[in-house]
Amino acid sequence: MKLLFSIVTSAAVLVSGSAFADSSDTKVALVPGGPHPYFAAWERAGQDAVKDFGLGKADYKVPAEWDLSQQNELIESLVGKGYNAVLVFPGDAVGTNKILGELDDAGIPTAALAGCVEQPTKAKMCFGTDTGHSAYLGTKQLIDAMGGKGKIAHFTGFLVDPNTTLRIKAVEKAVAEAGGGVEIIQVIADIDAYEPADEKINAFMAAQGGEVDGIVTTAWVPAVVAAQALTNMGDKRIKMVGIDHDEVVLTAIKDGFVHGTMLQNPYGQGYIGSYAMDKIRGGCTFKADAPWKATAQTDQFIDSGTVFVDSSDVDTYVDAMRGISLEILKTFEDDFLDC
Amino acid sequence: MNKKIPNFIYTNQFGLLCLVLIFTLIFSTSTDGFTSRFNIFALSRVIAIDIMIGLAMMVVILTGGLNLALGAIGVCAAMFGGWCMEVLGIPIIPSILLMLGMGSFLGWINGIITVKTGVHSFVVTLATMSIYFGFMTMLTEAEAFRRLPELFTDFGSAKLFNKYVSPLLLVSVATCFALFYLFRFTDIGRKLIAAGANPEAAELSGISVNRMFIYCHMLSGFLGALAAILLTTRIGAAIPSMAGQLGMDWLLPAFLAPVIGGTLLSGGKLSVFGTMLGAVLVTLLTNGLYLLDVGEFWIRFFLGIILLLAVLLDRTREYFTLKSVIVS
Repeated sequence: MKLLFSIVTSAAVLVSGSAFADSSDTKVALVPGGPHPYFAAWERAGQDAVKDFGLGKADYKVPAEWDLSQQNELIESLVGKGYNAVLVFPGDAVGTNKILGELDDAGIPTAALAGCVEQPTKAKMCFGTDTGHSAYLGTKQLIDAMGGKGKIAHFTGFLVDPNTTLRIKAVEKAVAEAGGGVEIIQVIADIDAYEPADEKINAFMAAQGGEVDGIVTTAWVPAVVAAQALTNMGDKRIKMVGIDHDEVVLTAIKDGFVHGTMLQNPYGQGYIGSYAMDKIRGGCTFKADAPWKATAQTDQFIDSGTVFVDSSDVDTYVDAMRGISLEILKTFEDDFLDC
Repeated sequence: MNKKIPNFIYTNQFGLLCLVLIFTLIFSTSTDGFTSRFNIFALSRVIAIDIMIGLAMMVVILTGGLNLALGAIGVCAAMFGGWCMEVLGIPIIPSILLMLGMGSFLGWINGIITVKTGVHSFVVTLATMSIYFGFMTMLTEAEAFRRLPELFTDFGSAKLFNKYVSPLLLVSVATCFALFYLFRFTDIGRKLIAAGANPEAAELSGISVNRMFIYCHMLSGFLGALAAILLTTRIGAAIPSMAGQLGMDWLLPAFLAPVIGGTLLSGGKLSVFGTMLGAVLVTLLTNGLYLLDVGEFWIRFFLGIILLLAVLLDRTREYFTLKSVIVS
C-alpha cells in the first residue's frame, strides 16, 4: 500500500508538471506547540515528504514544553540553521502571528497545522481537522451503536481551546437529530491531560457508570483514559467512540471495549503541508477563490479529513489515514494553488 | 591603571565574560547559522527579556528573599496594559507608565505582606503568584488583547545596527546602567544593599530595613512589568499564557541569571552586570544547543549541567586567583 501510495503521489507531482528544480533546497520545520502524542505522525510524514517530493529536509522538532516563548525560540533557531519553511501548531492563536509575520518578511512561508491562528495572519493556510464535523460524525456512530437511544457522556479537551466549544455543540447537534431517544447526561471538559482526566473520568464512572449507555470522547487524553477505564472495568455494555489512534484505544477496539474511533489525519497534515510549502517556495500561490472553509479563527481553512475506524478495519488504520491524504493530495494543487 | 586591570580579572564578571566568549567561539565554529543575521537578531531579543527578568529577581534576592510571583506580576501588568490600550484607548506612553505602576503596586503588596507578617517572601510570593494570576484570569476571562497600537508592537520587531540588534536589548542594557548607578552612586541604593547585607546593623545605623525591603519588592515589580512590556512588543499581543501557567516559565531565567552572575542568595551582595552576563550566557547556551541539534528534551538537562560546571569553574578560578594574591 505504501509503495502504491508513493507511486501515485509521485505521479501526481509529475502530472502537475511542476517538478521543481529547487525542491532539494526546501527545508521544512514541523513544529508542534509542545510534546503531545497527536503530533508524533508528523515525523514520519516529514520523512515521507522528503522521499516522495525530493525535499531537502522536513524535520519534526518539538519544543520541550507547551510554552509560546520556547516555541518561538525554537523556530528562530531552526531558521538560523537554514530551515526555509515552517509548519507550526500555534502555541497561541494570537501570539504566534507575530513570528509568522516576521518569517514571512524574511521570505519564509509558513502555515498553521492542526490548529489555526487568528486572522489577520501571514500564515498561508490553516490545515487541520474540522473538529466539529469529526465530533458530529463520531456521535452519530455512537448513537447508531447504541440502537438510537440511551444516555451518553461527552469527555473533551481544554475549555480555552476554541475547538472544544465546537465539539460540544457538534455532539449536541447529533444528539438533537436523534429525535429525543438520546440524552447527554454529562459533559466533562478541561481534561486533555492525564491527571485531571484520570481523576474526573474514573470518578464519573464510579458514580454514574451504571446509568450511562454511551461515551463519546473528542480529545486524545480523555479517549485514552476512558478506553482504559472501560477495559479495566471489563464493561462491554457501555458503547464508546473515541478519537485519534493511541495504542490503548486501538487495543480496546480490538478487544471489544470500545466501539470505534474517529481518526484525525496528522500524517496527512505533515505530509501535504510539507508538499504545499515546497510548492509555495517554488513560486505557486494560493488561489483566492479556492474551496476554503471558514472557522471561528480563519477563512482560509483546509480540512485534513477524518474517518471512522472500528474493529473491522482497526488493523489497517494506517492505510485509512494514508487514503485520506491521497484523496486530498490528488486535487490539492488544482483546487488550491496557482502554479 | 595597572592596578585596575588585574582587579577586573579577579571578578566573577570576568569569568562569565570569558565563558560567553568561549561558547560564542564554539557555537560559531561548530554550528550552522549561529552568526547569521537572523539568529543574532533573535538572540538579542531573547537576551533582552531574560536580562530584565533576571534583574527583577536580583533586586529581591538582595534582601535574602525571593519573588516567585514575578511572572504573574509581569502577566498582570501586560494584560492591564493591553486593556488600557485596546479597550480604554489610552495612548502608548501613559499606558506604559500605568503598566509600570501596576507592576510596582503588585510588588509593593508582596513587600508589605512580607515585612508585616515576617513570613519569608518565598511563601508570600508563592501565594500571591496564584492570587495575582487567578485574579487576572477572572477579570479577563483569559482573553488576549491583540489589537494593540502598531507603533507599540512594531518596536519588538524593529532592527538596528544593520538589522543585527533588537532595540529591546538597548532598553535592557540601559536599565542595567541605571541600576548600576542606583546601587553604586546613590544613597538609597547603598541603603538597600546595607539592609540586605546585615538587617540588624542597618537598623541600628538608622536605616528603615522594612522600608528598604518594600522598595526592593516594588523595584522587582517595576522591572517585572518592564520585562512584560518588552515581551508584549515582541509577541504583538498581551496574552495570559505569555509566561506560562501562573507565570512560572519566568522562574528559571529569573534565578539563573543573578545567581550565576554573582548575586548571593543569602542577600546583601548583587552584581548588575554579572546578572546581565548570566542572562547572556544562559540564552547563548540554549540557542547554541538548539543549533547543535541536541534533542529539545535534553536541552534543559544539558543547560543545568553546563551551567553547574560553569559556576564551579568560575568559583575555582576565583579561589586560585585569591590564593595567588594572598601568597604574593
